[in-house]
Amino acid sequence: MAVSQTSEGYALPCGRALEALWEDLEAGTAGRPGSHEQDCPHCLTALSGLVALRDATRELTAAPVAVPPRLTGRIMAAVRAEVRRTRLLPLPAAGLEPGGEAVISEQAVAVVLRFAADGVDGVRARRCAVRPRDPGQAPDGMPGWVDVEMTLAIRYGISPGEAVLAAVRRAVLAAADARIGLRVARCDLLVEDLWSAPAPGED
Amino acid sequence: MAVSRPTAVPADRGTPAGRGTTEGPGFPGPDELDDATLAARAGEGDVDAFEELVVRHQEPVYRLALRMLGNAAEAEDVTQDSFLAAWRGLPTLRAQAAFGGWLYRLTVNRCLNVLRARRPVAELDPATLRSTRPDEQPEAAAESGAQVAALSAALQLLTPEQRACWVLRELQGCSYEEIAGIVDATAGAVRGRIARSRAVLAEVMRPWR
Repeated sequence: MAVSQTSEGYALPCGRALEALWEDLEAGTAGRPGSHEQDCPHCLTALSGLVALRDATRELTAAPVAVPPRLTGRIMAAVRAEVRRTRLLPLPAAGLEPGGEAVISEQAVAVVLRFAADGVDGVRARRCAVRPRDPGQAPDGMPGWVDVEMTLAIRYGISPGEAVLAAVRRAVLAAADARIGLRVARCDLLVEDLWSAPAPGED
Repeated sequence: MAVSRPTAVPADRGTPAGRGTTEGPGFPGPDELDDATLAARAGEGDVDAFEELVVRHQEPVYRLALRMLGNAAEAEDVTQDSFLAAWRGLPTLRAQAAFGGWLYRLTVNRCLNVLRARRPVAELDPATLRSTRPDEQPEAAAESGAQVAALSAALQLLTPEQRACWVLRELQGCSYEEIAGIVDATAGAVRGRIARSRAVLAEVMRPWR
Protein backbone atom coordinates (compact mmCIF):
# COMPACT_ATOMS: atom_id res chain seq x y z
CA MET A 1 0.00 0.00 0.00
CA ALA A 2 1.63 3.20 -1.06
CA VAL A 3 0.93 6.01 1.34
CA SER A 4 2.69 9.25 2.12
CA GLN A 5 2.54 11.10 5.37
CA THR A 6 0.72 14.41 5.32
CA SER A 7 -0.38 16.79 8.02
CA GLU A 8 -3.75 15.05 8.00
CA GLY A 9 -2.30 11.57 8.32
CA TYR A 10 -1.62 9.22 5.44
CA ALA A 11 -2.54 10.00 1.86
CA LEU A 12 -2.84 7.46 -0.94
CA PRO A 13 -1.24 8.29 -4.30
CA CYS A 14 -4.64 9.42 -5.56
CA GLY A 15 -4.71 12.06 -2.83
CA ARG A 16 -7.33 10.34 -0.68
CA ALA A 17 -6.59 10.27 3.04
CA LEU A 18 -6.50 6.78 4.52
CA GLU A 19 -8.48 7.99 7.53
CA ALA A 20 -11.23 9.34 5.28
CA LEU A 21 -11.47 5.97 3.58
CA TRP A 22 -11.66 4.29 6.99
CA GLU A 23 -14.45 6.61 8.08
CA ASP A 24 -16.40 5.81 4.92
CA LEU A 25 -15.87 2.12 5.59
CA GLU A 26 -17.12 2.51 9.15
CA ALA A 27 -20.13 4.47 7.93
CA GLY A 28 -20.85 1.82 5.31
CA THR A 29 -20.54 4.28 2.43
CA ALA A 30 -17.21 3.11 0.99
CA GLY A 31 -17.25 1.62 -2.51
CA ARG A 32 -20.75 2.81 -3.43
CA PRO A 33 -21.56 3.00 -7.12
CA GLY A 34 -20.18 6.19 -8.57
CA SER A 35 -17.76 6.74 -5.70
CA HIS A 36 -14.14 7.62 -6.37
CA GLU A 37 -12.80 4.42 -4.81
CA GLN A 38 -14.91 2.21 -7.03
CA ASP A 39 -12.51 2.84 -9.90
CA CYS A 40 -9.37 3.84 -8.02
CA PRO A 41 -6.82 1.01 -7.77
CA HIS A 42 -5.04 2.71 -4.84
CA CYS A 43 -8.24 3.05 -2.87
CA LEU A 44 -9.33 -0.50 -3.67
CA THR A 45 -6.02 -1.90 -2.48
CA ALA A 46 -6.15 0.16 0.69
CA LEU A 47 -9.77 -0.77 1.22
CA SER A 48 -9.00 -4.49 1.12
CA GLY A 49 -6.47 -4.01 3.91
CA LEU A 50 -8.87 -1.91 5.95
CA VAL A 51 -11.69 -4.43 5.52
CA ALA A 52 -9.40 -7.27 6.63
CA LEU A 53 -8.35 -5.17 9.61
CA ARG A 54 -11.94 -4.33 10.50
CA ASP A 55 -13.06 -7.98 10.31
CA ALA A 56 -10.13 -9.23 12.38
CA THR A 57 -10.71 -6.44 14.92
CA ARG A 58 -14.35 -7.46 15.33
CA GLU A 59 -13.34 -11.07 15.76
CA LEU A 60 -10.66 -10.17 18.29
CA THR A 61 -13.13 -8.01 20.26
CA ALA A 62 -15.64 -10.86 20.37
CA ALA A 63 -13.04 -13.51 21.21
CA PRO A 64 -13.47 -14.63 24.82
CA VAL A 65 -10.54 -13.97 27.12
CA ALA A 66 -9.98 -16.61 29.77
CA VAL A 67 -9.08 -14.78 32.96
CA PRO A 68 -6.65 -16.96 34.92
CA PRO A 69 -8.77 -18.85 37.46
CA ARG A 70 -6.83 -17.84 40.55
CA LEU A 71 -6.33 -14.21 39.60
CA THR A 72 -8.74 -12.77 42.20
CA GLY A 73 -7.12 -14.85 44.92
CA ARG A 74 -3.65 -13.76 43.91
CA ILE A 75 -4.60 -10.10 43.88
CA MET A 76 -6.39 -10.28 47.22
CA ALA A 77 -3.53 -12.18 48.84
CA ALA A 78 -1.18 -9.39 47.80
CA VAL A 79 -3.64 -6.77 49.05
CA ARG A 80 -4.10 -8.46 52.42
CA ALA A 81 -0.34 -8.74 52.81
CA GLU A 82 -0.15 -4.96 52.75
CA VAL A 83 -0.51 -3.76 56.27
CA ARG A 84 -2.36 -0.50 56.25
CA ARG A 85 -1.95 1.45 59.41
CA THR A 86 -5.21 1.98 61.15
CA ARG A 87 -6.17 3.91 64.21
CA LEU A 88 -7.03 1.81 67.26
CA LEU A 89 -9.95 2.86 69.43
CA PRO A 90 -10.07 1.98 73.14
CA LEU A 91 -13.08 -0.03 74.18
CA PRO A 92 -14.68 0.40 77.58
CA ALA A 93 -13.69 -2.95 78.96
CA ALA A 94 -15.50 -4.12 82.02
CA GLY A 95 -13.94 -7.10 83.75
CA LEU A 96 -10.42 -6.62 82.43
CA GLU A 97 -7.51 -6.78 84.80
CA PRO A 98 -6.23 -3.37 85.82
CA GLY A 99 -3.83 -2.18 83.16
CA GLY A 100 -5.43 -4.43 80.57
CA GLU A 101 -6.80 -2.64 77.56
CA ALA A 102 -9.25 -3.71 74.88
CA VAL A 103 -8.94 -1.97 71.53
CA ILE A 104 -10.70 -2.25 68.21
CA SER A 105 -9.54 -0.92 64.86
CA GLU A 106 -11.29 2.08 63.37
CA GLN A 107 -11.77 0.04 60.20
CA ALA A 108 -13.66 -2.70 62.01
CA VAL A 109 -15.93 -0.15 63.64
CA ALA A 110 -16.47 1.59 60.29
CA VAL A 111 -17.58 -1.68 58.69
CA VAL A 112 -20.24 -2.20 61.37
CA LEU A 113 -21.47 1.39 61.24
CA ARG A 114 -21.61 1.48 57.42
CA PHE A 115 -23.57 -1.73 57.46
CA ALA A 116 -26.03 -0.22 59.94
CA ALA A 117 -26.49 2.84 57.70
CA ASP A 118 -26.96 0.57 54.65
CA GLY A 119 -29.97 -0.91 56.43
CA VAL A 120 -31.90 2.33 55.91
CA ASP A 121 -33.76 2.10 52.62
CA GLY A 122 -31.97 3.88 49.79
CA VAL A 123 -28.86 4.69 51.81
CA ARG A 124 -25.33 3.63 50.98
CA ALA A 125 -22.60 4.59 53.39
CA ARG A 126 -19.29 5.62 51.88
CA ARG A 127 -16.57 7.13 54.05
CA CYS A 128 -16.76 6.62 57.76
CA ALA A 129 -14.33 8.18 60.22
CA VAL A 130 -14.50 7.24 63.88
CA ARG A 131 -12.56 9.30 66.42
CA PRO A 132 -12.25 8.53 70.12
CA ARG A 133 -13.48 11.28 72.38
CA ASP A 134 -11.39 12.26 75.34
CA PRO A 135 -13.22 11.25 78.55
CA GLY A 136 -12.86 14.84 79.74
CA GLN A 137 -15.04 15.92 76.80
CA ALA A 138 -17.47 13.02 77.06
CA PRO A 139 -21.10 13.64 78.08
CA ASP A 140 -20.65 11.61 81.28
CA GLY A 141 -16.90 11.97 81.66
CA MET A 142 -16.40 8.26 81.01
CA PRO A 143 -14.33 6.49 78.36
CA GLY A 144 -15.90 4.66 75.41
CA TRP A 145 -17.34 7.62 73.51
CA VAL A 146 -16.59 8.32 69.85
CA ASP A 147 -17.39 10.93 67.21
CA VAL A 148 -18.55 9.59 63.87
CA GLU A 149 -18.33 11.33 60.51
CA MET A 150 -19.97 9.54 57.60
CA THR A 151 -20.65 10.38 53.97
CA LEU A 152 -23.67 8.91 52.23
CA ALA A 153 -25.06 8.26 48.78
CA ILE A 154 -28.86 8.36 48.65
CA ARG A 155 -31.04 6.71 46.03
CA TYR A 156 -32.34 9.17 43.49
CA GLY A 157 -35.94 10.06 44.26
CA ILE A 158 -35.61 9.80 48.01
CA SER A 159 -35.56 13.13 49.74
CA PRO A 160 -32.19 13.41 51.48
CA GLY A 161 -33.94 15.27 54.28
CA GLU A 162 -34.12 14.96 58.02
CA ALA A 163 -36.22 11.79 58.06
CA VAL A 164 -33.58 9.73 56.27
CA LEU A 165 -30.71 11.29 58.21
CA ALA A 166 -32.46 10.70 61.51
CA ALA A 167 -33.01 7.05 60.60
CA VAL A 168 -29.34 6.66 59.69
CA ARG A 169 -28.27 8.35 62.91
CA ARG A 170 -30.51 6.03 64.96
CA ALA A 171 -29.15 2.95 63.18
CA VAL A 172 -25.53 4.04 63.64
CA LEU A 173 -25.97 4.81 67.34
CA ALA A 174 -27.77 1.54 67.98
CA ALA A 175 -25.16 -0.55 66.14
CA ALA A 176 -22.24 1.17 67.87
CA ASP A 177 -23.77 0.48 71.24
CA ALA A 178 -25.22 -3.00 70.73
CA ARG A 179 -22.58 -4.54 68.49
CA ILE A 180 -19.37 -2.89 69.67
CA GLY A 181 -20.04 -1.27 73.01
CA LEU A 182 -19.12 2.24 71.89
CA ARG A 183 -21.30 5.25 72.49
CA VAL A 184 -21.59 7.93 69.83
CA ALA A 185 -21.25 11.44 71.18
CA ARG A 186 -21.59 13.08 67.81
CA CYS A 187 -22.68 11.72 64.42
CA ASP A 188 -22.08 14.00 61.44
CA LEU A 189 -23.71 12.87 58.22
CA LEU A 190 -23.01 14.31 54.79
CA VAL A 191 -24.97 13.37 51.67
CA GLU A 192 -22.39 13.59 48.89
CA ASP A 193 -24.01 11.71 46.02
CA LEU A 194 -27.20 10.26 44.55
CA TRP A 195 -27.44 6.85 42.98
CA SER A 196 -30.15 5.25 40.88
CA ALA A 197 -31.15 1.64 41.05
CA PRO A 198 -30.57 -0.31 37.82
CA ALA A 199 -33.66 -1.38 35.94
CA PRO A 200 -34.70 -5.00 36.58
CA GLY A 201 -32.51 -7.40 34.66
CA GLU A 202 -29.81 -4.81 34.12
CA ASP A 203 -26.44 -5.71 35.55
CA MET B 1 -29.37 -5.76 65.67
CA ALA B 2 -30.57 -9.13 64.56
CA VAL B 3 -28.72 -9.25 61.26
CA SER B 4 -25.05 -10.05 61.34
CA ARG B 5 -22.76 -9.55 58.43
CA PRO B 6 -19.69 -11.48 57.33
CA THR B 7 -18.04 -8.19 56.34
CA ALA B 8 -16.71 -7.75 59.86
CA VAL B 9 -14.80 -11.01 59.51
CA PRO B 10 -12.59 -10.77 56.40
CA ALA B 11 -11.63 -14.44 56.46
CA ASP B 12 -15.19 -15.60 55.89
CA ARG B 13 -16.04 -14.92 52.31
CA GLY B 14 -18.20 -17.97 51.66
CA THR B 15 -18.86 -19.26 48.20
CA PRO B 16 -19.37 -16.94 45.23
CA ALA B 17 -23.02 -17.94 45.13
CA GLY B 18 -23.50 -16.58 48.63
CA ARG B 19 -22.00 -13.21 47.95
CA GLY B 20 -24.10 -10.42 49.30
CA THR B 21 -27.48 -11.59 48.16
CA THR B 22 -28.94 -13.35 51.16
CA GLU B 23 -29.55 -10.59 53.68
CA GLY B 24 -32.72 -9.39 52.08
CA PRO B 25 -33.77 -5.90 51.09
CA GLY B 26 -32.21 -2.95 52.79
CA PHE B 27 -28.79 -4.50 53.25
CA PRO B 28 -27.04 -4.32 49.90
CA GLY B 29 -24.14 -6.74 49.53
CA PRO B 30 -20.90 -5.50 47.97
CA ASP B 31 -22.04 -6.74 44.56
CA GLU B 32 -25.03 -4.41 44.66
CA LEU B 33 -23.06 -1.26 45.43
CA ASP B 34 -21.86 1.27 42.86
CA ASP B 35 -18.16 1.66 42.09
CA ALA B 36 -17.92 5.05 43.82
CA THR B 37 -19.28 3.67 47.09
CA LEU B 38 -16.98 0.65 46.90
CA ALA B 39 -13.99 2.86 46.08
CA ALA B 40 -14.72 5.12 49.06
CA ARG B 41 -14.94 2.15 51.39
CA ALA B 42 -11.87 0.44 49.95
CA GLY B 43 -9.96 3.69 50.36
CA GLU B 44 -10.60 3.43 54.09
CA GLY B 45 -9.28 -0.12 54.20
CA ASP B 46 -12.44 -2.17 53.55
CA VAL B 47 -10.94 -5.27 51.94
CA ASP B 48 -14.31 -6.77 50.97
CA ALA B 49 -15.30 -3.62 49.11
CA PHE B 50 -12.01 -3.78 47.24
CA GLU B 51 -12.48 -7.45 46.42
CA GLU B 52 -15.79 -6.60 44.75
CA LEU B 53 -14.00 -3.98 42.64
CA VAL B 54 -11.46 -6.65 41.65
CA VAL B 55 -14.19 -9.13 40.70
CA ARG B 56 -15.91 -6.43 38.67
CA HIS B 57 -12.90 -5.02 36.82
CA GLN B 58 -10.37 -7.82 36.53
CA GLU B 59 -11.70 -9.10 33.21
CA PRO B 60 -11.45 -5.80 31.29
CA VAL B 61 -8.12 -4.97 32.94
CA TYR B 62 -6.66 -8.38 32.11
CA ARG B 63 -8.03 -8.18 28.57
CA LEU B 64 -6.47 -4.76 28.08
CA ALA B 65 -3.10 -5.99 29.39
CA LEU B 66 -3.26 -9.15 27.29
CA ARG B 67 -3.98 -7.23 24.09
CA MET B 68 -1.25 -4.74 24.81
CA LEU B 69 1.40 -7.26 25.83
CA GLY B 70 0.44 -10.33 23.78
CA ASN B 71 1.57 -12.55 26.63
CA ALA B 72 -0.68 -14.15 29.25
CA ALA B 73 1.87 -14.39 32.06
CA GLU B 74 2.91 -10.77 31.72
CA ALA B 75 -0.72 -9.70 31.46
CA GLU B 76 -1.50 -11.48 34.72
CA ASP B 77 1.44 -9.82 36.47
CA VAL B 78 0.43 -6.39 35.20
CA THR B 79 -3.18 -6.97 36.29
CA GLN B 80 -2.12 -7.90 39.80
CA ASP B 81 0.31 -5.00 39.95
CA SER B 82 -2.33 -2.52 38.76
CA PHE B 83 -4.85 -3.58 41.39
CA LEU B 84 -2.22 -3.43 44.10
CA ALA B 85 -1.35 0.09 42.97
CA ALA B 86 -5.07 0.91 43.08
CA TRP B 87 -5.33 -0.40 46.64
CA ARG B 88 -2.39 1.77 47.66
CA GLY B 89 -3.65 4.81 45.81
CA LEU B 90 -7.32 4.67 46.80
CA PRO B 91 -6.91 6.49 50.14
CA THR B 92 -5.81 9.57 48.21
CA LEU B 93 -8.18 9.25 45.24
CA ARG B 94 -10.59 12.14 45.55
CA ALA B 95 -12.86 11.43 42.57
CA GLN B 96 -14.14 7.97 43.44
CA ALA B 97 -16.63 8.11 40.58
CA ALA B 98 -13.68 8.01 38.17
CA PHE B 99 -12.39 4.71 39.56
CA GLY B 100 -12.66 2.78 36.26
CA GLY B 101 -10.76 5.32 34.17
CA TRP B 102 -8.13 5.68 36.85
CA LEU B 103 -7.64 1.90 36.98
CA TYR B 104 -7.24 1.77 33.18
CA ARG B 105 -4.64 4.47 33.44
CA LEU B 106 -2.67 2.53 36.06
CA THR B 107 -2.86 -0.55 33.81
CA VAL B 108 -1.82 1.21 30.62
CA ASN B 109 1.14 2.83 32.36
CA ARG B 110 2.34 -0.54 33.61
CA CYS B 111 1.92 -2.10 30.17
CA LEU B 112 3.91 0.73 28.62
CA ASN B 113 6.71 0.15 31.14
CA VAL B 114 6.83 -3.55 30.26
CA LEU B 115 6.84 -2.82 26.53
CA ARG B 116 9.50 -0.14 26.80
CA ALA B 117 11.73 -2.53 28.73
CA ARG B 118 11.63 -4.94 25.83
CA ARG B 119 13.85 -4.78 22.78
CA PRO B 120 13.09 -1.40 21.19
CA VAL B 121 10.78 -1.54 18.20
CA ALA B 122 11.93 0.38 15.16
CA GLU B 123 9.13 2.64 14.03
CA LEU B 124 7.65 1.16 10.88
CA ASP B 125 6.83 3.16 7.83
CA PRO B 126 3.61 1.80 6.41
CA ALA B 127 4.66 2.99 2.97
CA THR B 128 7.53 0.53 2.79
CA LEU B 129 6.13 -2.21 4.95
CA ARG B 130 5.96 -5.65 3.43
CA SER B 131 3.51 -8.10 4.83
CA THR B 132 5.15 -10.55 7.16
CA ARG B 133 3.97 -14.02 7.97
CA PRO B 134 2.37 -13.25 11.29
CA ASP B 135 0.74 -16.67 11.43
CA GLU B 136 4.10 -18.17 12.27
CA GLN B 137 4.49 -16.18 15.45
CA PRO B 138 4.09 -18.52 18.41
CA GLU B 139 2.37 -16.13 20.84
CA ALA B 140 -0.49 -15.59 18.46
CA ALA B 141 -0.99 -19.22 17.63
CA ALA B 142 -3.17 -19.75 20.68
CA GLU B 143 -5.82 -17.39 19.29
CA SER B 144 -8.59 -19.05 17.40
CA GLY B 145 -8.72 -18.10 13.75
CA ALA B 146 -5.79 -17.29 11.55
CA GLN B 147 -6.95 -13.75 10.89
CA VAL B 148 -7.20 -12.94 14.57
CA ALA B 149 -3.82 -14.54 15.14
CA ALA B 150 -2.38 -12.40 12.36
CA LEU B 151 -3.81 -9.26 13.93
CA SER B 152 -2.50 -10.13 17.41
CA ALA B 153 0.96 -10.64 15.95
CA ALA B 154 0.72 -7.48 13.88
CA LEU B 155 0.01 -5.47 17.04
CA GLN B 156 3.54 -6.33 18.16
CA LEU B 157 4.81 -4.29 15.20
CA LEU B 158 3.45 -1.07 16.68
CA THR B 159 5.31 1.12 19.13
CA PRO B 160 4.05 0.84 22.74
CA GLU B 161 2.32 4.22 22.53
CA GLN B 162 0.63 3.42 19.22
CA ARG B 163 -0.51 0.07 20.49
CA ALA B 164 -1.94 1.56 23.69
CA CYS B 165 -4.00 4.06 21.71
CA TRP B 166 -5.16 1.55 19.11
CA VAL B 167 -6.16 -1.09 21.68
CA LEU B 168 -8.05 1.43 23.82
CA ARG B 169 -9.88 2.78 20.78
CA GLU B 170 -10.65 -0.34 18.76
CA LEU B 171 -10.83 -3.08 21.38
CA GLN B 172 -11.95 -1.19 24.50
CA GLY B 173 -14.17 1.32 22.70
CA CYS B 174 -12.74 4.42 24.41
CA SER B 175 -13.20 7.86 22.87
CA TYR B 176 -10.21 9.93 21.71
CA GLU B 177 -10.70 12.23 24.70
CA GLU B 178 -10.80 9.32 27.15
CA ILE B 179 -7.65 7.85 25.63
CA ALA B 180 -5.91 11.21 25.82
CA GLY B 181 -6.65 11.26 29.56
CA ILE B 182 -5.42 7.72 30.04
CA VAL B 183 -2.14 7.98 28.12
CA ASP B 184 -1.40 11.62 29.00
CA ALA B 185 -1.40 12.99 25.47
CA THR B 186 -3.50 15.43 23.46
CA ALA B 187 -6.51 14.13 21.55
CA GLY B 188 -4.70 15.17 18.36
CA ALA B 189 -1.66 13.06 19.23
CA VAL B 190 -3.94 10.12 20.01
CA ARG B 191 -5.67 10.53 16.65
CA GLY B 192 -2.30 10.55 14.89
CA ARG B 193 -1.09 7.40 16.65
CA ILE B 194 -4.27 5.56 15.80
CA ALA B 195 -4.07 6.65 12.16
CA ARG B 196 -0.51 5.40 11.94
CA SER B 197 -1.44 2.12 13.65
CA ARG B 198 -4.30 1.64 11.22
CA ALA B 199 -2.02 2.20 8.22
CA VAL B 200 0.47 -0.38 9.50
CA LEU B 201 -2.16 -2.92 10.50
CA ALA B 202 -4.15 -2.57 7.27
CA GLU B 203 -1.02 -3.23 5.27
CA VAL B 204 -0.16 -6.33 7.29
CA MET B 205 -3.72 -7.61 7.17
CA ARG B 206 -4.30 -7.11 3.45
CA PRO B 207 -3.23 -10.65 2.42
CA TRP B 208 -5.95 -12.00 4.73
CA ARG B 209 -8.66 -10.41 2.71
